[in-house]
Amino acid sequence: MSEPVRVVHYLNQFFAGIGGEERADVGVSARPEPVGPGRALQAALGDAGRIVGTVVCGDNHAADQEAAAVDAIGRELAALRPAVLVAGPAFASGRYGLACAAACRAASALGIPAVAGMHPDNPAVEAHRQHVLIVPTAESATGMPAAVASLARFALRLGRGEALGPAEVEGYVSQGRRRVWDRGRPGYQRALDMLLDKLHGRPVVSEVPFRAPDRVPPAAPVPDLSRATIAMVTTGGLVKKGNPDRQVAANATRYHRHSVRDLEALTPAGWEAYHAGYFNHIVNKNPNYILPLSFLRDLEGKGAIGAVHEWMYAMPGVSTPVAMARELGRSIGADLREARVDGVLLVAT
Amino acid sequence: MGMPVGMISAIYSFALTTGANRVVRGARIEHVCGDPGLGPEKDYAYGMRIVRAALHALTVPVTGPTLFDPHAGEAEEDAHAS
Repeated sequence: MSEPVRVVHYLNQFFAGIGGEERADVGVSARPEPVGPGRALQAALGDAGRIVGTVVCGDNHAADQEAAAVDAIGRELAALRPAVLVAGPAFASGRYGLACAAACRAASALGIPAVAGMHPDNPAVEAHRQHVLIVPTAESATGMPAAVASLARFALRLGRGEALGPAEVEGYVSQGRRRVWDRGRPGYQRALDMLLDKLHGRPVVSEVPFRAPDRVPPAAPVPDLSRATIAMVTTGGLVKKGNPDRQVAANATRYHRHSVRDLEALTPAGWEAYHAGYFNHIVNKNPNYILPLSFLRDLEGKGAIGAVHEWMYAMPGVSTPVAMARELGRSIGADLREARVDGVLLVAT
Repeated sequence: MGMPVGMISAIYSFALTTGANRVVRGARIEHVCGDPGLGPEKDYAYGMRIVRAALHALTVPVTGPTLFDPHAGEAEEDAHAS
């Protein structure tokens, strides 16, 4: 039989039995044996793995002195020479989750594989899932047995140097990496099987991970349109005729703002659409279809709205990743807020 | 403290499912605020109806993604405004 896998276990002050919140400032220390949940972890590892040490750090210390804590954890790991580090489980505790992630990074820096356990909604998951291997656990310590079993399984495989398959198969939290992988059966067969499963009311698991979109609390309404300054934004790819700003037609990383102060309407002589996601020909004859200046000037003249904001914002919305769109949107929003705009019309093609 | 946004889109169902709070139904992807097939006068009136619906949307309190349909009466809007 091969030698048992050398495992080091990381715990916070609470699970190590040092104390609660009042001891969260305690620094990094190590013990030569399993502690607290480590005993259950050792039982789950069985003869295949052996906990050769437990590294403990207070959650506040790990948060406030992160660089020093990571250094100290690294020194303990270098001395203990484990084949793998197991951190937590931290369940839904945010500070403990961040400390576990920090411990895992300290291990990775030494070339030691590491795995942490936490609830998928733990803030540390979103912050560190790309670089830290995280297995999902329950929200609280009532889920300890399942969490420890799962951590033990991953610890043994990592400690033996085994490569892991995709997150959806192995059950760890997706790290957002794309790798070439042969599913063994062609797509049409899998799609038909999925359809049959749906028709028969059997459980269906999509191969495309779904990430729910952000929700933004709705802004309060405009109390009086006749006194409101209204701004226009378009993702329809509006550019000045000939595209002198050299905006791209898709996958934009910037927007442009243009003054409409002296304009009553957008004319085809002055403006056009440059957008890879739809047939631009119609907008090129009447650019007001994607930026309703002609209508707003009309309403401004009638007193239905207070004023048209001097600056309009334009970019092509097609193929823009959500993260980039969020950044551009924040920047436009900050600009409009500073200009004390009351409301915005956004035309999206 | 944000400001309300009336999002005019022909594919308004995407806007609603991705979390836009005040969504206004536009004409078509190729001509969101109007329809050249109607002839100049009706085209402008149609576009104005869409833009007015978007401005109206800015004045209505909403609690989440809500559709404002320029073709529907106020009653229809209220049905979506929850």
